[in-house]
Amino acid sequence: MLREEEKVMEATATGRKKKKWWMNYAIWFIFPAFVLYSLFVMVPTFSSIYLSFTSWDGISDNIRYIGLNNFKEIWESPRVHNALKNTIIVAIALVLLENVVALALAILVDQVRWFRNLFRSIFYFPVLMSGIIMGFIWMIILNYNFGVINQLLDMVGLSALKADWLGNPDYALLSIILSTVWKASGYYMIIYLAGLQGIPQELLEAANIDGAGKWKQFRHITFPLLAGATTVCVMLSMINSLKLFDQIAVMTNGGPGFATETLTYIIYKVAFGEGRQGFGTALAIVLFIMIMIISLIQIRLLRKREVQM
Amino acid sequence: MGKKVKKPITTNNVITFVVTLLIAIVFIFPILFNIMSAFKTNSEILRDAIAFPSELYTESFKFLLTKTEFPKAMLNSAILTIASIAAMIVIIPMAAYAIERTNSKWTNLVYVFFLFGMMVPFQVYMIPLFKQLNMMGLFGNLVGPIMIYIAGSVGFGVLLFTSFLKGVPREIEESAEIDGCSRMGIFWRIVFPLLGPVTASMVVLQGLGIWNDFLMPMLVLPSGETKTMIVELFYYVGEFSSRWDMIFAGTTISLVPVLIAFLSLQKYFVKGVSSGAIKG
Repeated sequence: MLREEEKVMEATATGRKKKKWWMNYAIWFIFPAFVLYSLFVMVPTFSSIYLSFTSWDGISDNIRYIGLNNFKEIWESPRVHNALKNTIIVAIALVLLENVVALALAILVDQVRWFRNLFRSIFYFPVLMSGIIMGFIWMIILNYNFGVINQLLDMVGLSALKADWLGNPDYALLSIILSTVWKASGYYMIIYLAGLQGIPQELLEAANIDGAGKWKQFRHITFPLLAGATTVCVMLSMINSLKLFDQIAVMTNGGPGFATETLTYIIYKVAFGEGRQGFGTALAIVLFIMIMIISLIQIRLLRKREVQM
Repeated sequence: MGKKVKKPITTNNVITFVVTLLIAIVFIFPILFNIMSAFKTNSEILRDAIAFPSELYTESFKFLLTKTEFPKAMLNSAILTIASIAAMIVIIPMAAYAIERTNSKWTNLVYVFFLFGMMVPFQVYMIPLFKQLNMMGLFGNLVGPIMIYIAGSVGFGVLLFTSFLKGVPREIEESAEIDGCSRMGIFWRIVFPLLGPVTASMVVLQGLGIWNDFLMPMLVLPSGETKTMIVELFYYVGEFSSRWDMIFAGTTISLVPVLIAFLSLQKYFVKGVSSGAIKG
């Protein structure tokens, strides 16, 4: 009895204290973050939603409301369809390749006996580079006339395979995808590596004694236990692939023609290159919806798997 | 404890090592290629891309560092990075602390409001933001981007700090409160030092992101005095379209700070990735 009463008293006392606390301090602690975030993220985000229903050119003060016309154009424009197709190709290719490469690298780094930290650093280093710098380097490696790839093909007598890797619409997107795999895989490798190191060795030893081969061990023990890491990596790589921008800006500028235009790239080109900011914001809203759907799926999946995290 | 018995070297060990080594060569090649090319003359680069430089040619570095805007651009990038990070690690932990410790209906609402920002990529609000900066008179100076960086990191930062604060016991704070320490004092003297690991991850992750950022600085600081290093390098492709030696020298210089930061703060980079992973 007495203890309960004490508890109640304590609770109301701390409750009161908390309220005072909030009035006096919390508001000032939160204030700077709240103001900056509202002003520089939320206000322009809501402006975007509004502008997507206008035909604003970015300069004039005359903002004309045109209803759903921008979205109708998105629905009908072959250029936008092409950009959406490219975005989806890039997303699927990057998610698959980056995760396979990252997992393979993580397993190698985990298993290798010598220079483990050095290898990890080498695989990870491209992650630290700016997309612009990385784009330059690959642009020159892939150059038709004096690029390394074509030179190597010449050296091994495969001159027939030489190609204009960035100038040919058939290869340009592939070149961007593969160079991005080089750049980004190290990031996911670190996450997989953390997952691998969390797997209890006894499990693998027991499987070994039971006569399970390496592949069986991977298939039935390692891989299922990496489910948490895999979810995180797949979702992150998907969102990052939707945001891909720097490499395209340097390596192809969306070209040749429209061959490497993705959704993010077309937003930029339409808004700042062609002065159609209303249409640009409408495309941005489409991107936003895509990313929101993926994020919500991710949150759901992660909630389910919280135990493993 | 006896001496650790070394396991004998198996063929498996050797095969794994060789495979890893070969892949590592593929991974490091573009970077070495970049550094190597920076010490070649332009004609050497065009003649034979894979060949080693015939002599250590450093004229391109000298030219970049004395005759161009490059040093100024580097300074701009450094100011932008350091100022944004410094402001972030003051503003964000404070907000996170108030949200986590009060845990009232209102602060939870603010928390959800902040988290929403994590789902909004920059491309979604960049177009109105551009105009807004113009109207606020922040276009073309470094203050605008600093504010944008802080604002953009609020969602992720608050999430990171609140989840860490859940594990920080309140007892010390309570006793300090009884001793008459102010809330500000409690936060800065007692709580903030305990946040070290998260702060370090945040500094490393965001610092790298800002140093490497391209799209926003290109839009907001497109020319002249306030151009950042990455934007400057981007324009070199057009300007020096046939001077690959300049571009290689520039990219090599830009990698040096990243390399130094990585080698000295490796631990935090790895930790930063795992905490970034929760971000989503």
